[in-house]
Amino acid sequence: MDQQRRNDWILFGSFWAVFSVVGFYLVLGIDLLPAQWAHEAEVVDDAYILLMGLSIPIFAGVAAALLTSLIRFRVKVEGQPTEDGPPVHNNRNFVRLWIASTLMLALMITVNPGFIGIAELRGEPSADIVVEVQAQRWSWKVNYENGAETFNQLYLPADRRVRFDITSLDLVHSFWIPGFRVKIDAVPGRVTHLYVTPEGVGSFEDDFNLRVQCAEICGLGHAQMAMPVTVLEPADFDAWVSDLAEGA
Amino acid sequence: MRQLLRAVIFGILGYLIGAALTWLIRGGSMGDEVCVVFGYILGLIGWLFGIGMGDTWVREWFGLPARKYEVTGWKRYLGFSTDHKVIGVQYLATFIVVLLLGGVAAMIIRFELAQAGEGILNADRYNQVMSMHGILMVAVAVAAILGSFGNYLVPIMIGADDMAFPRLNAVTFWLIPPVAIGLLAAPTLGSFDAGWTAYPPLSVVNNGGQILFVLAVTTFGLSSILGGLNVITTIVTMRAPGMTWGRLPIFVWGAFSASLISLLTTQFFAASLILIAMDRVAGTVFFNGGAGGDPLLYQHLFWFYSHPAVYVMVLPGFGAVLETITHMSRKPLFAYKAVVVSFLSIAGLSVIVWAHHMFTSGMAEYLHGPFMFASEMISVPTGMVFLSAVATLWRGKLWMKTPLFFAMIWIFQFLMGGVTGIFLADVVTDVSLHDSYFVVAHFHYTIMGGMLFAFLTGIFFWFPKITGRMINDRLGIIFALWLTIAFQLTFLPQFWLGTNGMNRRIADYPEQLEGANLMSSISAFILGSSFILFVYILLSGAIRGPKAGGNPWNASTLEWQVSSPPPEHNFSGQPTVVGHPYGYGTAGSRHAEFADVTVAAAPPEQPGTDQGGDHE
Amino acid sequence: MAMTTTPEADHSRAAATYRPAANRLGLWLFLASETFLFAAFISSRFVVSGTDQPEHLNQGLALLLTLLLLLSSISAFRAEAAMAHDNRKLFHREMLTTIVLGLLFLVGVGVEFNEAVADFPVGTIYGSSFFMLIGLHAFHVLTGILALGVVWNLGRKGHYSSQDHWPVEGVVKYWHFVDLMWVAIYPTLYLFGGS
Ligand code: HEA
Ligand code: HEA
Ligand code: CUA
Ligand SMILES: [Cu+2]
Repeated sequence: MDQQRRNDWILFGSFWAVFSVVGFYLVLGIDLLPAQWAHEAEVVDDAYILLMGLSIPIFAGVAAALLTSLIRFRVKVEGQPTEDGPPVHNNRNFVRLWIASTLMLALMITVNPGFIGIAELRGEPSADIVVEVQAQRWSWKVNYENGAETFNQLYLPADRRVRFDITSLDLVHSFWIPGFRVKIDAVPGRVTHLYVTPEGVGSFEDDFNLRVQCAEICGLGHAQMAMPVTVLEPADFDAWVSDLAEGA
Repeated sequence: MRQLLRAVIFGILGYLIGAALTWLIRGGSMGDEVCVVFGYILGLIGWLFGIGMGDTWVREWFGLPARKYEVTGWKRYLGFSTDHKVIGVQYLATFIVVLLLGGVAAMIIRFELAQAGEGILNADRYNQVMSMHGILMVAVAVAAILGSFGNYLVPIMIGADDMAFPRLNAVTFWLIPPVAIGLLAAPTLGSFDAGWTAYPPLSVVNNGGQILFVLAVTTFGLSSILGGLNVITTIVTMRAPGMTWGRLPIFVWGAFSASLISLLTTQFFAASLILIAMDRVAGTVFFNGGAGGDPLLYQHLFWFYSHPAVYVMVLPGFGAVLETITHMSRKPLFAYKAVVVSFLSIAGLSVIVWAHHMFTSGMAEYLHGPFMFASEMISVPTGMVFLSAVATLWRGKLWMKTPLFFAMIWIFQFLMGGVTGIFLADVVTDVSLHDSYFVVAHFHYTIMGGMLFAFLTGIFFWFPKITGRMINDRLGIIFALWLTIAFQLTFLPQFWLGTNGMNRRIADYPEQLEGANLMSSISAFILGSSFILFVYILLSGAIRGPKAGGNPWNASTLEWQVSSPPPEHNFSGQPTVVGHPYGYGTAGSRHAEFADVTVAAAPPEQPGTDQGGDHE
Repeated sequence: MAMTTTPEADHSRAAATYRPAANRLGLWLFLASETFLFAAFISSRFVVSGTDQPEHLNQGLALLLTLLLLLSSISAFRAEAAMAHDNRKLFHREMLTTIVLGLLFLVGVGVEFNEAVADFPVGTIYGSSFFMLIGLHAFHVLTGILALGVVWNLGRKGHYSSQDHWPVEGVVKYWHFVDLMWVAIYPTLYLFGGS
């Protein structure tokens, strides 16, 4: 009898180990996330990978318990069952242990990718340049500091911290750059802010995730409400902006 | 039948009178939204009177004798019946139909999304189909389990002969058909396209169909509130002698805590929709940013209900799954008390996490931390439910019939949904994942994998009780596996799509994402076709399945101690509860005694014998 | 395992022993749920316009309205007490008083609306909240008056007694609740903040 119970646990443990290893391999070994084009993207991806790493053992544990039960505890029943399981109603210590560990885990997550991540993602509310964005069904208008203006085009300098001041003229839209992993809604009657530090030079041609995509449903043109993002070397960006301002 | 016909006629007449009067008073045209509003309200009242509310209830209120219809047989299901079992079946049938309708919309969605570029739908149509899918399915998720099994089983499980307010119960159900009609009629006014969340200002300025959405969903909310009130009152006041709170079957606790939520928070949903209606037809400016209103007000009101609503969906599901697991593995429910505490704390916590849907909405940043914290905390009581489910299975005697298959798959899938919920509750990752397909995958795992699989578990577990017949178990297991595998292949790619730059509610997407979308679409069709088997299993089982007898699972709770289907007043003698509901493994343990006969909790029985309460 | 069937006995069990407790609890739950409805609208007012107030608020009329409702609560209470002591004449009188006070309240609201439309129309944010809240409450007053009317009529015809007057109790509780909601709405619209 005891031997049997030990075998249950051994089987469970082995499944758990195997599932965890396979899980870790899948998550960490295969590149599931797209290229990072901003400092913020690294923060977000690190949090994502940490959460993945923490959920794999939980997942593997439950899956292992289910599979073990299926293999070890199923009975063949002719007609109606004649046998009951053991009358275990509770196991206080086990329940306490479980609650304590899930609570710990939840607190840990709240602190680590949670509060620490938020602080890292937001950083200081200071910026090298400010870019104003105005959303209107179904297009984007961008104003740079010196009066330059673009329509459905966004140019940014690499390695400089940018603050976006975003608003909307009609509906709620959402300003999302998948390559940067950040988004904030554009709300009529409000100005919302977003800080990003682009990294690396590239454009929509290099990666389709270098685009601003409207992420809040706004009717007919919602899917098409996107604009390409181009990240330039700081010097190139300065030249581009002043050219544009003079032309205007 | 006659009632139903009368209800349709009264409903149409009511609508026409309401719309025409409004039109006469204020001019304009009959199709104006104001006319639609008043038409709908009078139509709704006409419908309720036609179906029979006036014959009993209202007449009594005015001191007149109630009229009574003596209808028997299957015709009861088409009229104003106050029998909770009839109402439960009415709910069940209605919501299976709505589920299939919503599923057809899902098939159209996936067909459109199989390839980048515009397919069969233009962007406008796509948004409409998507919104229709969303709201139909949310209605299914909120009311299917509570409405059908809650009605059918709660009174029997607690040893009562009906719900506390049988007529209110009937009205609660008959409010549902107008909801469906209202939603499905919306295309006549240009349909609605703002998703099931209906955020303003879009929902204030879009086509006229949105007003029907608002009216129908408000009606649905009313039905939820009244249903919740009834369930709570029933559980509090109608328990049989000896049925202490500590002896309630776990499904009753699930229904109780879900009802608490829907009784007390649905008002906020109604309020948010009423404000939209006001902005549309009465000229108020609640959501008009230009005139001093605030679009975020809606989001706060809406999520104050709609987050708790997700627990209205799953709490009865938890109950159904745990119930199935304990009976089918023939072991007492592990840590019963802790599970009850968890249910209640989920209900409590659920009202303080709503703004986790608004991390990128532009609301004040100091709110992010507290809401993130509260959202993470909800995983602790939910985790307790998982422990109970798994530990009940552990060393049980698993009788692997269709219901237990579904229950075990449920554990796996809801875990997937719950754990991905943690990613969304975390502000840092949500800033990237919000409104992407990651969210879509998350909630299909929680709602479909959690609520719908619990619903299917319940359907297969209580099918013999309701119809008196057994289903074909082999087909049931084939269905379970087919559904599950196709489900993973449909929604796993969507997690990847979400992290790789695909946002929600779009008819068209960058070509680079075509591969995963195609895979998801093909799997979705395989998933959809499995429901043909589902319908076949139910119909063939109900028509010519083998007779089930009173207690085919040899289970201990009260509903199994009466015939299948149960007699008209549920019990022929007064049941007295004398012990724990799940006395498995303890020799001589009994849950209930009847007036003169004693029914053992789980005596080994010969197959096919009819135990307890037979009326033959 | 045959059991004896006595459906008639079951029926009377449900009718006699269970109902009063259920009715009472049902009413309380209903009122709790209504409280949440009012809470939603009241909090909306603060979310969209803080404690801002327009200049032209008719404070005198509002105070009068409040008094009317409070008085009607007293008469409603006396009506119920009268029925509990089988004093039909007093019941009759107090019910009627309550109904009349309620109707007067509605008239007052009509007057207030007429003035308000000019000073802060629906298209302003305060006006939106104002008409929404008062309108919602007035609707409840109206349903309350209708219910009071039905109960008064039945009471007049001798349908109730001291032993059996649940409808009176129910409708009076509802009326108290409607008054209580006014006591929350009145400061929300008239007292908090300033212009
Ligand atoms: C039945 C429905 C259901 C359920 C049960 C849940 C459960 C949860 N949901 Fe989900 N959710 C939805 C339905 C549901 N959700 C829907 C429909 C949407 C989209 C709405 C829309 O915009 O259209 C949504 C969106 C949504 C968002 C917003 C995403 C966005 O738009 O940006 C968030 C963010 O926090 C979230 C979080 C959670 C969390 C934390 C849980 C938790 O309750 C999960 C708890 C469970 C577990 C965690 C697993 C078990 C626990 C253990 C085994 C213990 C150990 C684990 C840990 C300690 C981590 N959900
Ligand atoms: C109970 C809840 C529930 C259920 C069960 C489902 C089931 C399905 N859902 Fe849905 N879904 C939602 C709730 C649900 N959904 C919600 C709330 C939204 C959000 C809407 C919004 O954003 O506002 C959404 C959105 C949503 C989207 C995102 C749309 C977008 O953002 O643009 C997608 C895309 O793939 C999708 C797909 C599916 C699929 C393939 C199924 C399948 O599982 C369906 C399978 C069932 C059937 C197919 C029916 C039965 C079959 C037949 C009748 C036979 C005939 C069928 C064939 C043609 C083969 N759903
Ligand atoms: Cu703009 Cu979606
Ligand atoms: Cu939520």
